Amino acid sequence: MTAIETSGLTKEYGEITAVDDLDLTVADGEVFGFLGPNGAGKSTTIDMLLDLTRPTAGSATVLGYDAQDESDDISPRVGVLPEGFDVYPRLSGRRHLEFAGKTKGTDDDPDEILARVGLSAEDGDRPAGDYSKGMRQRLATGMALVGDPDLLIMDEPSTGLDPHGIREMQDLVRGEAERGTTVFFSSHILEHVEAVCDRVGVLNEGELVAVDTIDGLRAELGGGATMALTLADPAEWARDLVTSLEGVADTTASGRTLELSVVDPAAKATVVTALADAGATIRDVRIEEVSLESLFTALTNGDEGRSGTADAVTTETEAAR
Amino acid sequence: MTSHIATVARKEFEDAGRSKLLWSLIGLLVGLVAVGYVAIWYTADDITAAEVLSFLGVPLQVILPVAALIAGYMAVVGERRSGSVKLLLGLPPNRTDVVFGKLLGRTAVVGVAIGLAFLVSLVLGAVLFGSVPFLEWLGFAAVSLLFGTTFVGLAVGVSAAVSTRGKSMAIVVGLYMVLIALWELLTAGPYYLIYDESVPVEAETWYLVLEQFNPIFAYTNLANTVVEGSIFPFQFQYGLQSMEAYQMTPAERYPGDAPFYLQDWFGIVVLVVWAVVPVAIGYYRFQRADL
Repeated sequence: MTAIETSGLTKEYGEITAVDDLDLTVADGEVFGFLGPNGAGKSTTIDMLLDLTRPTAGSATVLGYDAQDESDDISPRVGVLPEGFDVYPRLSGRRHLEFAGKTKGTDDDPDEILARVGLSAEDGDRPAGDYSKGMRQRLATGMALVGDPDLLIMDEPSTGLDPHGIREMQDLVRGEAERGTTVFFSSHILEHVEAVCDRVGVLNEGELVAVDTIDGLRAELGGGATMALTLADPAEWARDLVTSLEGVADTTASGRTLELSVVDPAAKATVVTALADAGATIRDVRIEEVSLESLFTALTNGDEGRSGTADAVTTETEAAR
Repeated sequence: MTSHIATVARKEFEDAGRSKLLWSLIGLLVGLVAVGYVAIWYTADDITAAEVLSFLGVPLQVILPVAALIAGYMAVVGERRSGSVKLLLGLPPNRTDVVFGKLLGRTAVVGVAIGLAFLVSLVLGAVLFGSVPFLEWLGFAAVSLLFGTTFVGLAVGVSAAVSTRGKSMAIVVGLYMVLIALWELLTAGPYYLIYDESVPVEAETWYLVLEQFNPIFAYTNLANTVVEGSIFPFQFQYGLQSMEAYQMTPAERYPGDAPFYLQDWFGIVVLVVWAVVPVAIGYYRFQRADL
């Protein structure tokens, strides 16, 4: 069964396309990270899943129900942590949780929920208007957890949390996943997603530029490495030689330095032997793994329509230097 | 799917019930009733509790709309701007539950205010004037409750229809100004231009219909049918119609037997229309809005 499925989902605001023809499938029970810079269309997509915003074209299903026509069937089964929300300042934290429980028809103990999201019983008695940003985030997370939802949709859950709070949030997501809950959460910060996600989708300017596991994304980069070789002589002559080798994507020569991207990890050795065979004196070899962060940057800094293939990624990585 | 209107309404009642501004208005209303009763008791001789009841019409017709509009004008749009509506709609309640839950919850708050004011009048009437005109009192309270509900509906409807707080406030304040301060200019003014005379007692029917459709007039006309004494609408006057005409209801001004829509009881329909139409428009627009 699929937890979330969108097909051709599109949202236009006048001239601006916020979400462009999005096809996305999130399987039951997986933890899916929805990545993208601010303004990429993540919240708009989530708002369409929750029927807060109506798509211009395309459709979406959540837990098998149509997001627009059957939203009343979706909401009791889903826990939502929205972005840019506010609490009811005059009502206590506990009252918020009681209200959530009442609407979901459960009698979950508010104090237990408070504890799970790291709020004390005293915090629960205070009006939520006195809460800090992080506490509001925790309270809303608690409201999402009420009634043990089948699917958690969290929009930028780390907002307002300190590093410790972010780790707690990640533990909570892992814990929910172990209980069989599907988790769909968005972030503009890769490392928050990396630690907990089975798969990630990268959204940029409304378009999905990559969907894969973290390892898959790494592999797609082909080891994700750039090599910089320092030769004894000016390196220009060696450029054509290495470019012709299999698994080498992109080559530049400046002075005695030859820089190249390797798609296939095994190509590194081939490059070194080929140069040695051609009589070059190699003074130094430096290899840099492309970090996920730069992959993310590469995927999302493109002008538009980046395919997310290794070529595009490495080119972008180079260009970003 | 089960309806969550009652759950939302209860939360609303609690939330709005903690608003200090609203409580000061309720305090003002109850205080005015108490002070007024004591003042009449102190100065006037030979007056019955039933007649004193009509005194309530003055503070009620001014403060009730203001309190109800304040209670309602931020109801939906306030949550939309702050973002708490996302938290609310992320839970099982849908947009229908939000609009009608808010309407119900905020009506209940205004209802409590009216109930308190009338309770004070009942007790003071019994203590100071020695009688309890129960039926009149009950009728007047019911009409006042309808009047309060009208303005809550108007305000909640506007708050659901617009996307910013400023628009909601502008529309609500604007409408109130039209009803209380500009009404005569907007109705008797054109009359003067068309017929080249100030409005006589026996005015053209369209004018009487317009008069009938001001919810404040509808309220005073209805109140006058249930209490002794007379309650005049509190209005800014520009002298475009005679004082005599001003003090008469459309039914009284109509030559001969007034048609049903000019009868005093038709005021009930007028008050219901002023609540239902804005709520319907607001509901329609809120259902279709991107939040």
